[in-house]
Amino acid sequence: MAERAHSGPLAFPLQENPLRERRVIFRRYGRNALIAVLLSMMFYHIFVVETDWVRMGGIREIISTAAEFWPNPAFIPIIIDPLLETLLIAFWGTVLATMFAMPVAYFSARNTSPFYPVVYLFGRSIIVLSRSTHEFIFALIFVSALGLGPLPGILALGFRSIGFLAKTTSEVIENVDRDPIEAMEATGANPISVFMFGILPQIYPIVVGNVIFQLDINLRRAAILGMVGAGGIGYVFSEQMQAYEWNNAGTVVLGIAVMVIMGEAISNRIRVRLISGVGGDSKGIE
Amino acid sequence: MAYLEIHDIKKVYPTGEEALKGVDLEMNAQEVVALLGLSGSGKSTLLRCINRLVEPTSGTVFLDGVEVTAIRHRRQLRSMRQKMGMIFQEFNLVDRLTVLENVLAGCLGYTSTWRCFFRAFHREDIELAIETCDRVGLIDHFRKRADQLSGGQRQRVGIARALMQRPKLFLVDEPTSSLDPKIGREIMDLMSRLSAEDQIPMLVSVHDLGLAQAYTNRIVGLQDGIKVLDSKTSDVSSDILENIYHTVSAA
Repeated sequence: MAERAHSGPLAFPLQENPLRERRVIFRRYGRNALIAVLLSMMFYHIFVVETDWVRMGGIREIISTAAEFWPNPAFIPIIIDPLLETLLIAFWGTVLATMFAMPVAYFSARNTSPFYPVVYLFGRSIIVLSRSTHEFIFALIFVSALGLGPLPGILALGFRSIGFLAKTTSEVIENVDRDPIEAMEATGANPISVFMFGILPQIYPIVVGNVIFQLDINLRRAAILGMVGAGGIGYVFSEQMQAYEWNNAGTVVLGIAVMVIMGEAISNRIRVRLISGVGGDSKGIE
Repeated sequence: MAYLEIHDIKKVYPTGEEALKGVDLEMNAQEVVALLGLSGSGKSTLLRCINRLVEPTSGTVFLDGVEVTAIRHRRQLRSMRQKMGMIFQEFNLVDRLTVLENVLAGCLGYTSTWRCFFRAFHREDIELAIETCDRVGLIDHFRKRADQLSGGQRQRVGIARALMQRPKLFLVDEPTSSLDPKIGREIMDLMSRLSAEDQIPMLVSVHDLGLAQAYTNRIVGLQDGIKVLDSKTSDVSSDILENIYHTVSAA
């Protein structure tokens, strides 16, 4: 409309322009029709062409197959150790990630990064690399480099989590109150002391909250890392699946669910305490 | 040579704003000097040019015979900053740290990086910090978190932190502007007392005429980055000051 205003007088008012009317009709109905056609094509492809309805059988058969995954209580003692291993992989992976994420965060926060933008871009690339690579990719790399076991799992989770922790932490660093930092600089403190006294006290509740959140996510990730040989409960699951031991596989699924729910309950409680400052003299996150 | 010598300091911010247009200032070792002027007159910039929190565009600053503006090495600059205790309008405390930790921050410049990293301060520094809390009247509060204190108490923490630096000069930026008048006078009383006891000269920016007259030996007036007044407080009659201050206000 705006460009027409300069092209001389119009033969008729805009509202009555028949061309425009036709375009509006297409926009209203044509586009919806196009979406409907595309959706039905997708539906047809997935549910008619690609699904083997004959093999699936009737509803009764589906239910009875699913029921074969009913957990086997006798398998519970066998999954305890791998579950604990999973917990440890998640824990140490998160610890490792936190250790590396803090300097990366310092380098990729605009207000603290030395020699801006050289080191800043380096830090940001680490974040992007870590966040855009699936933990299975890291796990496969470390399994081939170090062999089977929990260590490649820990490294995989560590590398996978650096990105999230460094990104969130660098954003918190960028938003700190500058006044105390100015005061620290005025005392003649060097940059590391300024960070420890001026910045860290301001950011730690949020950072600790994010680390616990990451630990919670890593517990889920650690539960499947074993499928590619990186230790933990995932290996037991794929082993039982390959042996057609559906009940045992069901037990594993139940075990993972219990562990994840417990982990989430505990981490939520800690994070709420951190944020609301219950039990401490903290006033919480501004 | 005067104790603090500022010669032809100019500051142009990257935005093009000329905050200081060539200011000269001399200060003796026993003096308390007021920097008087409205907001935007360049008081804060001048104070920060002295310890180079703001890098002056041109000009020189000498403190006790050492040319501050000639220091190129960051480490030397930091040890020079250590000798100048700065007190801020907004106190600039770390809210989440205790009063004692905030005061101890004053000796970060004296403490090795590793000790700072683990917050392992020297025993004598901790003792000095507690003593300093006592001197500023916070002995009952030094374990509290800084954000639990009132405004006046918070400024006392800021003063203790500056005192903890064992400074040769106090740079004070609008110390009472965030406080009510009564508390402001208490703070000025405290700073004058400490400055006299420890023989630390003090350059204090204020925009309150009464405070400048009551607490300083000399008044330096700034207007739009230019020095418009420099004379002994006792030599300036209230009327003249009022006049100058009003021309400043009118501008």
